[in-house]
Amino acid sequence: MSASGLKSRNGMARFVPYAFILPPMIYLMVFMFWPLARQMYMSFTNTRIINPNRGRFIGLGNFERLFEDPAFYLSLKVTLVYTVLTVIIGVTLGLIAALAIDRPFKGRSVVRAILLFGWAVPGVAASLIWLWMFNERSGILNRVAELIGLGRFSWLTSTDYALGSVLAVTVWQVAPFVMLVVLAALQSVPEEVREAAKIDGADPISTFRAVTLPHIRPAVQLAALLVTVWSIRRFDVIYLLTGGGPLGSTSTLVVKLRQTAFEGHELGMASAYGAVGLVLALLVAAIHYVAEQRRMKRMSR
Amino acid sequence: MMMFDKFRRRRLLATAAITAFALTIGLGAGESHAQSGEKVTLKLANSQWLDALRGKNLWAAVAKYQETNPNVTLEQVAIPSAEFNDKLTTEMGAGQGPDLAMMQEGLFYAIADAGFLVDLSAATDGINLNKTNENGKIDGTQYGLAWQRAVYALIYNKPLLDAGKAKVPGTVDELIESAKAASAATPGVIGFTGRHQMNDFSGWFMDFQNWAYGYGVNWVDADGKLTIDTPEAAEAVAAFKKVYASGIMPIGDSMPTQRTRFKEKHAAFSIDNSGGTLNIASGGAMQSGELGSAPMPFPHPGAHQQIFVGVSSHSKHQEEAVAFVKWLMGPVGQQAMRDASGPDTLATDVPVSDAYAKTNPWAPTFAKLAETSRSTLIKGHEVETAQIMRFVMQAVEKVILTDAEPKTALAEAQAAVDKQF
Repeated sequence: MSASGLKSRNGMARFVPYAFILPPMIYLMVFMFWPLARQMYMSFTNTRIINPNRGRFIGLGNFERLFEDPAFYLSLKVTLVYTVLTVIIGVTLGLIAALAIDRPFKGRSVVRAILLFGWAVPGVAASLIWLWMFNERSGILNRVAELIGLGRFSWLTSTDYALGSVLAVTVWQVAPFVMLVVLAALQSVPEEVREAAKIDGADPISTFRAVTLPHIRPAVQLAALLVTVWSIRRFDVIYLLTGGGPLGSTSTLVVKLRQTAFEGHELGMASAYGAVGLVLALLVAAIHYVAEQRRMKRMSR
Repeated sequence: MMMFDKFRRRRLLATAAITAFALTIGLGAGESHAQSGEKVTLKLANSQWLDALRGKNLWAAVAKYQETNPNVTLEQVAIPSAEFNDKLTTEMGAGQGPDLAMMQEGLFYAIADAGFLVDLSAATDGINLNKTNENGKIDGTQYGLAWQRAVYALIYNKPLLDAGKAKVPGTVDELIESAKAASAATPGVIGFTGRHQMNDFSGWFMDFQNWAYGYGVNWVDADGKLTIDTPEAAEAVAAFKKVYASGIMPIGDSMPTQRTRFKEKHAAFSIDNSGGTLNIASGGAMQSGELGSAPMPFPHPGAHQQIFVGVSSHSKHQEEAVAFVKWLMGPVGQQAMRDASGPDTLATDVPVSDAYAKTNPWAPTFAKLAETSRSTLIKGHEVETAQIMRFVMQAVEKVILTDAEPKTALAEAQAAVDKQF
């Protein structure tokens, strides 16, 4: 091959990675960044959903209204409480479940299938099943509560229990996912290291802390990040179970966004709610990034 | 020479194509697709198409149009009622959507306000419309015509009342008393059903208007100012709480569940509209003759839900769609609608037949109540009614779930409304 041919081939080779990366970039631009940019712009307009092309630029008007509205702070608080509790409870239960089924035992595959059930059921179907279970009059939960002498509970219509009930359904869905991710990481922990720790006299808790946990930490961290972002934007379960009530006790930012967009027809204002949600998600991603950088630095020492 | 021929042939072909195109446009102008013999498909969006029995009957009624208009094919766009408003606003906002839509009054006003409906006055020539069409006229233009008006009434299960020796109530206290008597006489029976949860907001606020209007509430004063914290409204909220707290309601049940319970003879009383009542009386364990109806146990008349039919300005077949509406408003269309609509009030006065009234003894009460019922929308604030009522229902929710006083909760709602509107 001539030198010029080789040179041109090398020149072409330089563009191959770009050719591979171009389709996903175009996809992301068209279906993610462009709509996101539109949404951000819309949050500065008075666009109405019924006539989205007639929106007028109003600067920070929507954000001014948002920050003056007590309902916004309530929904922000509910979102944070719901997200933090979902992550703490969901990840802890998922971790425990993964550790429980990590070791081989009789019927492990059956137990694993049962534990995974919550994750496999679509959100809408799960909500409807739980709606019946929470039913005050004929739901199974109140039947059991009555049988054991506790009386009936207003699972979804009392401000004391509604958020807890929504959390229970969410955790039931989220924990199996965490379990699956952690289980995959657990399977890759070298058995000889565990054995060595055991021979050195380490008890199971110390073995877990010193050997297993450092190994599965990235997986747990990733699962926690995903659960956090999903919780900030979760809609189906909350909307179907309580619609944001009672008294706004389960009204997260996304529920409020839907209400503003489709009930009030205020797409501009709804976009402002969306922008706040986006900032929250980006904050979480930034925290994850910083934590990951620090961990990498520690490991490289 | 050859080249010249080729050039001439091309020019000839181009001239022929342009002439043909011009002729097509020229001939097509002023003539609709249907008139030109071309097949036209009209898409009709309605959540009722999905109703178990009524949907089939209503579709059979409108489908009769195709018998006399073979060039027109009607196509169902069936959208569940919970998603109907969201889907239609999104589609219409994007310049798409069906040719015709059967919309609840609130949605109708929002879509008309955006300029997405066409004038239907051509469909009303020579038709003796009744007052159900008045709200379809906005600023002098008829954007919507009545599809159905479903008025509310108190309905009850006669055998359950007989078993409990309970009387048909005329006040809220009597309702509680009769509901308790019916429940006590037949184990497992619920006293009274009705919407009461925020996760069913649109339905709940419309149902609650019966309580509000029933106690004489006007959400606007003579100057058009929104008046939320009136003594009448406080009385209505207090009455609702009294029923809610009395233990006669199945707290937590969705409305479809409550209707099913009624249908299966497990509920004594309910406040429901004629459409919902027709559903309860059809195809379930309860025979239509076992169902009774009466005015609601309030001092003043209640509300009605209205569905309008409108033609989209995005439709490519507006002329054909308006022609369909004209047929619908005519004697053939209205009779077909009457046969499928039970006791709902229609765009023209078509009474229910004697045979129907005999088989469904609850039907005439609804027709009588329709004479005095009021729209669930707030006059002058039709497009914002849902937003305003969100504050009102938050006050109602606060009263029924906490020890808050109706007056205080409504004063908070008034402050929020004053701030936003």
